Amino acid sequence: MIFEERQIEKNNFSSRAIILFALMGLGFLAALIQIFLLQVSSYSDYEIAALKNKNYIIPIQSLRGEIFDRNGRYIVRNEPTFDLITRPDSIKNIDSFLDQIEPVIFLSESEKFLYLKLFEDKAFANKELVLKKDLTEVEIARFNVRSHAFENAFIDKRYRRVTDYPKIFSHVLGYTSRSKSPYKLLSNIPISHWKDGELIYANGFIEGKTGLEETYNSQLIGKPGQRVYEVNARGRLVKSLEYRPSQNGSSLKTYLDIEAQMSAAKFLGSRRGAVVAIDLSSGGINVLYSSPSYSINKLSNGLSVDELQNLINDENKPFFNRALQGRYPPASTIKPAIAMFGLANKLVDWDFQIKDPGFFTLPEDGRVYRGWKKGGHGIVNLRKALLVSSNTYFFSLAYQADINELALHLSNLGFGKDVCKDCFDEDQAFVPTPEWKYKKINTAWFKGDTVNLGVGQGYFVATPIQLANYASILANKGKGFELSLVMNSEEYYMPKIWQNNEYNELDWKRMHQALTDVIESDFGTARSIRDLKTFSVAGKSGTAELVGLDSKEAYKDLRDTELLRDHSIIVVFGPMPNPKYAVSVVIENGESGGAVAGPVAIEVLKSLINNE
Amino acid sequence: MSKLSKIFFDPYLFFSIFLISFLGLFFLYSASNGDTSIVLKQFIFVVLGLILMLLVSQPDPDLFRRYALLFLIFSFLLLGVTVLFGPEINGAKRWVRIGSFSIQSSEFLKLALPVFLASFLHSKRLPIQPKEVIISLLIIGTAFIVIAKQPDLGTGLIVALSGLFVLFLSGLSWGFMGGSLALLIISSPFLWNVLLQPFQRQRIATFFGIDSDPLGAGWNIIQSKIAIGSGGLFGKGFGEGSQTQLNFLPETETDFIFSVIGEEFGFFGVLLLLSIYLFILMRCFYLSLNARDRFCRLVIGGISLTFAANLIISLCMVVGLLPVVGMPLPFISKGGSALLSLFLAFGIITSMGTHKKFLPQ
Repeated sequence: MIFEERQIEKNNFSSRAIILFALMGLGFLAALIQIFLLQVSSYSDYEIAALKNKNYIIPIQSLRGEIFDRNGRYIVRNEPTFDLITRPDSIKNIDSFLDQIEPVIFLSESEKFLYLKLFEDKAFANKELVLKKDLTEVEIARFNVRSHAFENAFIDKRYRRVTDYPKIFSHVLGYTSRSKSPYKLLSNIPISHWKDGELIYANGFIEGKTGLEETYNSQLIGKPGQRVYEVNARGRLVKSLEYRPSQNGSSLKTYLDIEAQMSAAKFLGSRRGAVVAIDLSSGGINVLYSSPSYSINKLSNGLSVDELQNLINDENKPFFNRALQGRYPPASTIKPAIAMFGLANKLVDWDFQIKDPGFFTLPEDGRVYRGWKKGGHGIVNLRKALLVSSNTYFFSLAYQADINELALHLSNLGFGKDVCKDCFDEDQAFVPTPEWKYKKINTAWFKGDTVNLGVGQGYFVATPIQLANYASILANKGKGFELSLVMNSEEYYMPKIWQNNEYNELDWKRMHQALTDVIESDFGTARSIRDLKTFSVAGKSGTAELVGLDSKEAYKDLRDTELLRDHSIIVVFGPMPNPKYAVSVVIENGESGGAVAGPVAIEVLKSLINNE
Repeated sequence: MSKLSKIFFDPYLFFSIFLISFLGLFFLYSASNGDTSIVLKQFIFVVLGLILMLLVSQPDPDLFRRYALLFLIFSFLLLGVTVLFGPEINGAKRWVRIGSFSIQSSEFLKLALPVFLASFLHSKRLPIQPKEVIISLLIIGTAFIVIAKQPDLGTGLIVALSGLFVLFLSGLSWGFMGGSLALLIISSPFLWNVLLQPFQRQRIATFFGIDSDPLGAGWNIIQSKIAIGSGGLFGKGFGEGSQTQLNFLPETETDFIFSVIGEEFGFFGVLLLLSIYLFILMRCFYLSLNARDRFCRLVIGGISLTFAANLIISLCMVVGLLPVVGMPLPFISKGGSALLSLFLAFGIITSMGTHKKFLPQ
């Protein structure tokens, strides 16, 4: 090549080399920009992603708070049991390990099967594995003596939730069982890690399902702790990075009284019914018992399918909480409330009297409403009407009432609404109104419905806790509390005062006197329980009719069917004249209110007074 | 050849390569979770490589030109032997055993091809004739197809590029290039189906998001981005990268060693490393412009641009800009053959760049 040609070639090369090297420079720049974007702009995203890769966070279960009665006695506690735990990753030969341990601790086929099934996975990830649950004292002692031979196994404490009174507190306490969504407790821990959580309870992450255990679950459960492990790409635990201990749940101090609750259970016996007792100074619930009951220990810690089926199919419905959900006509126990309404609205005064022929005839259509006593009670004033429970008197009083005002009055006494702030699944029952009746049964309200309401029959239903609440308002002369099971210093509720300005102190005194005479006088309908106690008690009994009948003769035929018999109801408060407790008792198909429900109420009142 | 006492040596290239290969040993130690035997083996290759580079720098470029054809034939033969008799490792035949060493035969072609094409084209008048272009392309195409079928798409592409660079630098006409590009685009479906193995197609499909499998082919690239990104400005420290040390990152010693560096030394560490690479490339660029004749210019340009392409593809791959084709980071990734071929390449570049004698044509 001649010189010029060489020069052209050189220039040509140079310009082409510049193009290619510049292209390479662009590629280089693109890579550098991408690196900058990764390491500088999106650093925090990738930092989190890297931590997510390597950090394996597991929850540590917290110890649940315990539950105490008003005297500081345990109702529910955490009872330790002992499990044999192993470290599969350091067990070299699983067969010889099992051969070695079997003479010390008996292993069933299913225990061995489960252990062998999980062994490889746990060994691979350095995790612990339970070999046998709930060791006996003998097994613990046998193992401890030989523990030096088992470097890969140790005994660890696990709790069970138990009560020493499994059958009497079932409905009020409720039960705990394995939670379906424990991961909601700590949202920073991925759901899939919860299976590896460190447990304190033998039956896993538990939560309250019913009763107090459910209502106060968030307080009782405490706060889980957490442990952060470093894991490699294959999921194997490398080391522990962080440990945050769990916080125990706070305990509950309740108003419940073990002795009084036991009395309620004892005196109700096998009958279906409910007892509720209220502390008049606080609105605290001392007794909340529904019969028949069941064992919460079994329900919490394992119940066979058959046992559960039997409970579910039991015709007495043990799971049904009659104290909070049973709907019963209040019957004659409502009469003091009707009397209060009459006085406040000047429909009657204490001297107003009528002649009671044993029945009331509705002027509109001549329909007859009968009293419980044939021939009637003669001349009755308001006091006597309460004492002898004159239906005629209250029929005619209710007849004069405006139904909407009367319904409002009853609702002010807690009927038809929730009365307890921490009860589980309370039923509101209801007070009937014309509006309700039209909506529900598409029929107009007629005067006879109001007349029926005057004796607590007809559509009107109330729960035992509403009856006890009503009794407490009567006892406290119009002052009502929002009822509660748990003493809670953090949340203080001002009492809700129910007062009618037109209902004065003298009226209350006469009312208390009249209700005391129901039990303490020779003429009272509940005089049969007068001698069961040493202090005086006020109250009103009732017999809730399940079937409307015209005569006593017809009822005699009906009695043959137990489930159609009248319910026995009583509300009491005492000791008079300065009452401390109000009690309601309902016994299904128990018939005569005073004589059947009365003794139970008195026994509960006695044990509350004796056990302060 | 007049002064025997003169040693042909480019201090800029030599010391920057020296630096980067010893830094590489350091990175490899961390990437291999502290496996000293791997590092020791690599160290031996680095030392051998440096010596080789010095030795190869000494002969006059004319020697390379004279033996270029022989070298190419030898390389093709070696490749043929590999494809026919080589052991199959992970479904690919890439290695040939010589004594106790395994050599990746395609590495030789990466050098032999540009040197041969330079020797073939350096004396041709401008513009180069279609006949010469076709001969060159046939050789390049043969090399590419044989290597891609091993299958080793990454190396195949690099080898093809090394040839194409020389062809371009020697004055390939622009019209011809435009035509070929159009032809390539038209024939791409054919290339996709015939040349690519199913797993290669899978990787490329994954890269373009056609086929998402977070635990399959895409998983590697996700983990690599997490490793680099989580390194931040200053990195997590030597041996402290969780992605690397806990094995979330795959192939840390080879394809993904750059991710290890990014994770443990951060953006500043990466900048330092890349500036050394950039320095090497700029030095090569300078040498190519100032080489004594057309042959030297073409060889330096072809080889150093191949080196640049290799580097950029390797970087872009681990940062998620290109599909994962399997491309080591030069001078740093584990692998004796690749390392020796790199030192050989820079030995040739040094020879071409330092011999200043002008011989009348």
